Amino acid sequence: MNLGVRRSLDRLFTGLTGASIVLLMLVLIAVLGPMIYRGSGAVLFGGTVEFRKMQRDLFNRADRDALAAEIAETDEVRQVVHEMVDRFKKGIDIAAMSSQAREINREYGRELRYRDATPEEYTESREVARAIRDKLEEAFGSQDIELIRKNIAEVLAHKDEPRFKGTVAERYFTLATDFLDAAEHIDLSRYHDYLVALDEVEVILFGSIEHPGLLGPRPNQPARPLAMTSYGATRWDQAQSLLDRLVWAEKWVEKEPGQPLVKERSPRAELFHGTALEPLFTYVPEQLDEMLRPRFTVYWQFFIDDNFDSHYFGGVGPEIIGTLLITVVGMLFVVPLGVISAAYLVECASDGPVMRILRMSINTLAGVPSIVFGLFGLAFFVLFLFPRLGFEPKPCILAASLTLAVLTLPVMIRASEEAIRTVPRSYKEGSLALGASRFRTFVTVTFPAALPGILTGVILSLSRIAGETAPILFTGAVSMGPVPKSIFDPTRTLSYGSYDMAVGDRLAMMVPHNQYGMVVTLITLILILNAVAIVLRSRVFKKLKGH
Amino acid sequence: MQKMLISALLFSLLVGGSVQAQTLQIEGSTTVGPIADAFAEYFKRVYPDLNITVKKTGSGDGAAALADGRCDIATMSRFMKDKEFKDAVGNGVYPVAHVVAMDGVCVVVHPSNPVGALTTAQIRDIYAGKITNWSQVGGPSMPIVVISRDTSSGTYETFDEIVMAKQPMGPGVEYVNANPQAHARVKTTQGAIGYVGIGFLDREVKAIMVDQVAPNRQTIASGVYPVARPLFLFTNGYPKLGSMVHRFCAFYLTEKGQELVEAKGFVPLTAY
Repeated sequence: MNLGVRRSLDRLFTGLTGASIVLLMLVLIAVLGPMIYRGSGAVLFGGTVEFRKMQRDLFNRADRDALAAEIAETDEVRQVVHEMVDRFKKGIDIAAMSSQAREINREYGRELRYRDATPEEYTESREVARAIRDKLEEAFGSQDIELIRKNIAEVLAHKDEPRFKGTVAERYFTLATDFLDAAEHIDLSRYHDYLVALDEVEVILFGSIEHPGLLGPRPNQPARPLAMTSYGATRWDQAQSLLDRLVWAEKWVEKEPGQPLVKERSPRAELFHGTALEPLFTYVPEQLDEMLRPRFTVYWQFFIDDNFDSHYFGGVGPEIIGTLLITVVGMLFVVPLGVISAAYLVECASDGPVMRILRMSINTLAGVPSIVFGLFGLAFFVLFLFPRLGFEPKPCILAASLTLAVLTLPVMIRASEEAIRTVPRSYKEGSLALGASRFRTFVTVTFPAALPGILTGVILSLSRIAGETAPILFTGAVSMGPVPKSIFDPTRTLSYGSYDMAVGDRLAMMVPHNQYGMVVTLITLILILNAVAIVLRSRVFKKLKGH
Repeated sequence: MQKMLISALLFSLLVGGSVQAQTLQIEGSTTVGPIADAFAEYFKRVYPDLNITVKKTGSGDGAAALADGRCDIATMSRFMKDKEFKDAVGNGVYPVAHVVAMDGVCVVVHPSNPVGALTTAQIRDIYAGKITNWSQVGGPSMPIVVISRDTSSGTYETFDEIVMAKQPMGPGVEYVNANPQAHARVKTTQGAIGYVGIGFLDREVKAIMVDQVAPNRQTIASGVYPVARPLFLFTNGYPKLGSMVHRFCAFYLTEKGQELVEAKGFVPLTAY
């Protein structure tokens, strides 16, 4: 092979390795980039006035006076929306109007009984009232505008009669004028369509018991059972998508028979053409800014807050504490055990068949699936060991940490073993020649020299312990619970929390930013822990070099 | 100094454990989990001293945990099996069931699919692999992508029992491991069919009528919709009256409890 070919082969090799590194970086960016982008949405976003209300109520965190002023201002703009909806509803909600008319009639009867009226007057008044009620009900149920006009006119003819002055019956006449006003403006044959369409609009605007709405529940509505539906859109991006749903009606229509349906978007305003509700669809987009007051928000408290409604609101504070606790307690077991085992394997063990089997077992242990460790941890630590030591046989941080320690022990042992093995023989021989015992030699000479390598093992097992889900599934993780007070309490963790959000509830679909936020927090936490260990390692390394 | 700090920390961790607060441990189904979460959050507010934890590892684990005494209440999306009962009784645990809510298993398709109704027999044939194209059931000519929950889930068992009548599923069936995944798979695939709990219905998937019955609160609560099931809380014996376990298990009987069930996307048992 001549020199030229060799050189070009060399270059090719260099190029290929370089390219693979670049490829790896690109993959990493492609995977992590979107995740970090979405996760950052949990902390940085446009927070609306609803967000600030939620923070005030749930976390007791607000500039109360400024917020109260802001709420008063936004409520004023929202009032127009409420009025439009109410006005439209008056002509549509026949059942409500009928029962209102009946209620008025009953109350009027009750009022009459306490007045000084002769029996004849009483009977006559009651009969007139009942007649008015019947006329109204007939009008409400009719689709013929002529009949409605006639009935309403007959009702209004009684308006100035002295017997109704100052009584509850005056409400008859407002009811009648309101209804006529609405009836003149809508297509009466479409009552049912309007009712369905109105219901949809109301859910988008004010939410329902299951779904949060754009503006939150109306002031006079009964309180909702969950915090998540008690506020409007807390984030500007949520508000935008709800607004889109409000303005555009979506429908799947058949274009050609035998073909899949096609999605069609049409302005929702068309459904309400000519009615009192039509201006709503221009008013809300124009005034949304004023109704919600979005403001760029840095919600750093995401890292300390507890959550509400399965992570719909709030942050991951207890999860971070739990992850740190499990990691620290796990490391307390795995580091000493790993180093001591490694020391035995290198310094003391002879090279017999027993040792070979032992080594093989350690290597095999490294390849066992983590869920097996989880079940082992449950069966051994929780159900077998704990009762015998006098603890309650319940999953807890201690059990989870022990299980994770067993899981990462092989990694720790292998890394420490390599590190101890690479300490030059001359170091040890020098120490032994000076008369130090083998134990003393290990503690004062071999161990410090091997420390950087051991710290590499620590880094590897640290990441594993903080990120594993399966082993703690049965041994100490819960999806909901208080912040742990001792290592005998179970805890929430970031890893199990991410899993729980992905499989459990429909909520994760509604708040993807919180789901990604939790995952990114876990990644960041591991990176920080690693960075600390790496800094520590480089300092030890420098010290060893004698700088 | 550092050593002192560390030992102080360890000491406080260990001593903290000996202080016994009142605890309530709930474990089991991922389907019933959200209800347990909502109840627990309410209880946490009402009884601040109560130490309440919820864990979602599956109905099977719930049953095992109750038998082992690892939890006070097991949440299950199916009834206990023979073996689980025997194991529990063998450990001196006598499981008592409390039906906390109803759940409908809704058959869903992509919203672009014109097929709006299927019979149980047709669905069975689709899952058994006998019907492979939508044109065979009156739809456009597209291959059917069949999505099922994994065989260990309670939802699968309900579907298997009621729709499949224990007939095996075909080889082309794709298994996903949770409701959100089934929902996501159907919403993004034009020819897909899948099944999810009623809480997962939204405008991105279309629920079809089964045997001419549309799934909604009324049809599920009354049992008219065929693929419905009760959701359970299991306790060791009937809980001692007035105890926290009793309050928790009876909470669904209150208006507040029923409201929470509904808010979480399930079907309350009563028309409260």
